[in-house]
Amino acid sequence: MASQSRRTPLERVEYVLIVSTLLLLVVFTLQPLLNLLALSLSDPSKVAGFSGLSIFPDGFSPDVWMLLLQHPNVQRGIFNSVWMTATSVCIGVFGTALMAWGMSRPGLPGRRLIFILVLVTIVFEPGIIPDYFLMKRMGLLNTPWSVIMYKAVSAWYLIILIRFFEEIPKELLEAAELDGANPFQTFFMVVLPLAKPALATIALFYLVLHWNEFFRAMIYLNDQSKWPLQVVLRQFVIEGDKVAIVGANNVNNNLGLAQINIRALKAGMILITILPILAIYPLILKFFTKGTMSGALKG
Amino acid sequence: MREKVRQWWPYYAMMAPGLLFFFIWHYVPIWEAKMAFENVRIIPPNIWVGWKNFEVLFASPIFYQVLANTLIISGMKILFVFPVPIMVALLLNEVRSGKLRGAVQSAIYLPHFLSWVVIAGVFIALLSPTDGAVNQIQTAMGFEPVNYMTNTGTIRWVLVVSEIWRSAGWDSLLYLAAIFAIDPQLYEAAEMDGANRWQKIWHVTIPGIVPTIATLFILNMGMFLSADLNQVINMQNAVNASTIDIIDTYVYRMGLSTGEYALATAAGLFKAVIGMTLVLVSHFVSKRLTGKGVW
Repeated sequence: MASQSRRTPLERVEYVLIVSTLLLLVVFTLQPLLNLLALSLSDPSKVAGFSGLSIFPDGFSPDVWMLLLQHPNVQRGIFNSVWMTATSVCIGVFGTALMAWGMSRPGLPGRRLIFILVLVTIVFEPGIIPDYFLMKRMGLLNTPWSVIMYKAVSAWYLIILIRFFEEIPKELLEAAELDGANPFQTFFMVVLPLAKPALATIALFYLVLHWNEFFRAMIYLNDQSKWPLQVVLRQFVIEGDKVAIVGANNVNNNLGLAQINIRALKAGMILITILPILAIYPLILKFFTKGTMSGALKG
Repeated sequence: MREKVRQWWPYYAMMAPGLLFFFIWHYVPIWEAKMAFENVRIIPPNIWVGWKNFEVLFASPIFYQVLANTLIISGMKILFVFPVPIMVALLLNEVRSGKLRGAVQSAIYLPHFLSWVVIAGVFIALLSPTDGAVNQIQTAMGFEPVNYMTNTGTIRWVLVVSEIWRSAGWDSLLYLAAIFAIDPQLYEAAEMDGANRWQKIWHVTIPGIVPTIATLFILNMGMFLSADLNQVINMQNAVNASTIDIIDTYVYRMGLSTGEYALATAAGLFKAVIGMTLVLVSHFVSKRLTGKGVW
């Protein structure tokens, strides 16, 4: 930023130090992930003493990934995670947009009251036990809906969308009205197309939120077959329940999965769970960064 | 009146699913929380017992242990996690090449988007006493390996460091946005006066982001009793449990494992009320000090 022409040697040393510190931060952030990736792709015969510092596979073998991706628990986990996340995102975006549209109309009677009632939910959360009893009373225990419907409409994202809708030029809405559009038509044909960037942002917010959700799935879904990937991962990696992945038959004999190093399997499992986030990471960066920056500036 | 109904009903109709959701998912649980004042019986109805559950709770030593753990962990996070993103933002701002800065940012933002299950998995591997990176460096330097995950003396630091790993990069974004909003003329004026890099940081950049720092600090104080449940529940094990058992994990265990519904709800309600008060107070303090609130 400063004039770049005349820099003293001291300033150059300072600059090198600043850049090195940041690069060290990058190493601290990425090394643990790259290490797990390298471990999961290494030759199974060489994994035993694989260094925690290395980021290059020792030999190469896709065995761990193949075995995991063919494993019924992992496949079911992926399937459950994908459909539950997709459903949550659709419900979330649509429900939030509809509600935000109403709340963004200046003259709406009761607007202020509704706003306050929404804000209260941000500040006051009665806790997991009342929530558990609500699920029980509604018969949602051990159904995916106890997980999907949580934060179906997030108060935070609702407020973001309200702000966005409020900035749509009045003239456009009035023009639609003059053309004889009713509020529904205005919403679907004028407002939604205009809001595409905001809706995409909200969709990504919901996507990350729901893909990473594990707590509710963990406490509400007893049935293993209903578990999303995060809970499968937790059972195997955090709880150290080898049977969850290796299988009861394989624990004691030398067949199939049991031959693979358990450490490499865990590493592969972690990476499979991250993969979708990595796949959309460029999009995440674009939308989240812009959203957070402008949000911070407006204050 | 009739005119009004005709004008506004379509909007209420569109809002109906959302309103219904908020009512059921957020307001019914508030009503359910009355359980904290009841004696929960297997066969309803429950009996109203007033403050008795709270008296039992406040008389139990475990609750004070849990409360102390929560305060210690939150205090450590404020002290050691909070300043890091500020320093990261200051460093990033000094980088002249936009490409380099962008590359660093894309790398350090990543962990913010990973779940605590994943992060716990990563840290368990990273801190493994036999082949984790940290212990390998440690033994290479001639130190004894430490099992950080099962050591009551280190597990709280694992919480602190993993929180830094997850959030320091992303949180720096807010401060960076505040730095970019500083009037460039201030830097030019400082340069005219012969200020060097550190003087510019000290006299222009930091004063420029103080309002942001204050707002975020106050907000963090507001969340003081919420030492992340998702983090702790994934890092907890039989050995370290006593040191990082927080109110949230206590509520979870008492309620869903032990079946002490009323006590667990009372503890949860205690946390919710204190938490709400702290958030509201911090919001108004922030508004008074900086003119900026949270909403």
